[in-house]
Amino acid sequence: MTVRLEKVVKFFGSVRVLHELDLDVKEGEFLVLLGASGSGKTTALRMIAGLETVSSGIITIGGRDVTNVLPKNRDVAMVFQSYALYPHKTVAENIGYPLKIRRLPKPEMEARIKDVADQVQLTPYLARYPRQLSGGQRQRVALARAMVRRPKVFLMDEPLSNLDAKLRGHMRAELGHMQHDLGITTIYVTHDQIEAMTLAHRVALLEGGKLQQLDTPANIYNDPANLFVAQFIGSPSMNVVRGTLDGNLFMTGGTKIMVPVMGKVAEAVLGVRPEDCAVTAPEEADVNGNIYAIELIGDHTLVTVKTESDMLTVKAAKDFSAKVGNAVGVRLSKDNLYLFEAEHGVRVR
Amino acid sequence: MSIFESKKLGEMAVGTKIVVYGVLGIWTFIVLFPLYWVLITSFKVPIAVSGGPFYLPFVDFLPSLHAWSYIFFDLGNDTFRPYFNSAVVAVFSTLLVMIAGSLAAYALSRFTFRPRLLTILIFILAVALVIVLVAALGVNWLIAVTVGLALAVIGAGMFRRTPSPTLGNPDILFWMISQRIFPPVVAAIPIYVMFQQVRLLDTHVALILTYTAVNLPIVVWLMYDFFVSIPKDLEESAELDGASRIRIFFEIILPLSKPGLVATSLLVLIFSWNEYLLALFLSTANAQTMPLLVAAQNATRGPQWWYMSVLIIIMIVPVILLALVLQRFIAKGLLVGAVKG
Repeated sequence: MTVRLEKVVKFFGSVRVLHELDLDVKEGEFLVLLGASGSGKTTALRMIAGLETVSSGIITIGGRDVTNVLPKNRDVAMVFQSYALYPHKTVAENIGYPLKIRRLPKPEMEARIKDVADQVQLTPYLARYPRQLSGGQRQRVALARAMVRRPKVFLMDEPLSNLDAKLRGHMRAELGHMQHDLGITTIYVTHDQIEAMTLAHRVALLEGGKLQQLDTPANIYNDPANLFVAQFIGSPSMNVVRGTLDGNLFMTGGTKIMVPVMGKVAEAVLGVRPEDCAVTAPEEADVNGNIYAIELIGDHTLVTVKTESDMLTVKAAKDFSAKVGNAVGVRLSKDNLYLFEAEHGVRVR
Repeated sequence: MSIFESKKLGEMAVGTKIVVYGVLGIWTFIVLFPLYWVLITSFKVPIAVSGGPFYLPFVDFLPSLHAWSYIFFDLGNDTFRPYFNSAVVAVFSTLLVMIAGSLAAYALSRFTFRPRLLTILIFILAVALVIVLVAALGVNWLIAVTVGLALAVIGAGMFRRTPSPTLGNPDILFWMISQRIFPPVVAAIPIYVMFQQVRLLDTHVALILTYTAVNLPIVVWLMYDFFVSIPKDLEESAELDGASRIRIFFEIILPLSKPGLVATSLLVLIFSWNEYLLALFLSTANAQTMPLLVAAQNATRGPQWWYMSVLIIIMIVPVILLALVLQRFIAKGLLVGAVKG
């Protein structure tokens, strides 16, 4: 089912937490709402679920206007960050609760509970209570409860954030696989860019209640709409150099760098990702400085270079050898430079 | 190990152990002695009571069943009727107050109410008008109440758009508990007159309604705290699963509130079972309850300690049994596993 948000606004008292949000989720799509806490992503999800009222705007699911429809009549299933399992019901009763409410005949109900329990490997635990399960198992019960009724839309509110790192990676892969199999439209809220990049067909990046960019993970990474998106996505985040743009020359300190865009901006920001930089001898470099820190990550080394005005992180080979304090230069890959206006972060193209 | 963590008894030094057991022993004695005294008094003949303190049956005095036989055979129905009355009144008022109180507490814990001060003022004025009509002008009270209620509704509607300060849920909760601040004896006479007017004096209904009203603030207050502690996620999850509000209340909230419901029920049941003052006003013969019967043993012939003791024992026993049976419901940790990993 498609989900559409048209100019959706949300006020909590006099605080505006969402500014005219437009979203268009396609049939079978996995859309991730990504943002820091307070960006309005969870509020947006709760409004789609019907758990929050809409201050103004329209929400449609499968073409039907559900703006003022009760949650129970929207046919959406939600996985909560806290899992929200019913502690007095067994795993089987938890999973079967949506079916019990829909008065499914008992044999069919049991068959479907068994079916989803198999899918999430919970069959041996059907008779247990949530308190007798591990975090990962509880997580899967919550998932199974959402899957069992084959809803029009899946909503997930940071479903993996309470798991430990290893399990999270595993469950992330499982989730992606499951969504691919079921083909049910999924809207997924997270603050974790890795989850967003790996799971999403498209990512909607929110900040301050405003949609910053809605695009595929690759485009969000390679073609950020503004400085915020550029810095939010990527780890370590994009390097920024402050200076001025005149024509196709970017000037910072004493150096001039040729850039692939034209413009005249008094206060400009040059952005370049760590993997698009290289540490070189000072004479071959675009920017000069001294090595500030060296961190061996495993398959690569992160080298931080302190220039006159900024810090640049460079992704170097794992056998990088130099000492902290050495005078070095940083060469920037000319095709992968991004320019922004410093004041509002608008991209200069 | 924290210094505030209590040591297990086995880890204590001998001297400490003696002190701890000594203190506990003394306290146990203080708690249990009155019960023991009541028990042996019920087996004493009058001379064994008035003749000075006798502590040990068969040693100090010869036990006798005379008081027990008087209460069960001579009084007979005059004992059993108040016993039955007490049970009926306690059970039904507890049921009523738990239903009304927990629903009110749930509403207060989940919805935001904004009663307007102006509306409340209009209601108070209407009540004042009813009082004037009935008391000063002798209007039939049924007519007066109807008129007053109608005026209050119309008045509230008329001034619906007039700006007015509003109150919130905490104010409602405080108002509820404030009903327990003034002593019940203040309300006893108005309550008596009220039931006299509606011809319900000396009936179970009068006592049940009164106890329900008196216990309502306690139930709302205690259950409110309990409902607030149940995570909202559970209800929202049930809502998305397709459950209606009332279904969520009965299938999710109530089962999880069992410990609170049981503990609160037991508390108000005991209140009603032991209540004396209001029962004294509201019942004379037919609806007389046990505490009145106990008090009546101190009538014309001076205090009949032996009869009182028998009555007190048969009053205590069911409460103790009930507490033992219900204890297993008052377990904690029912919410474990609901949220988080």
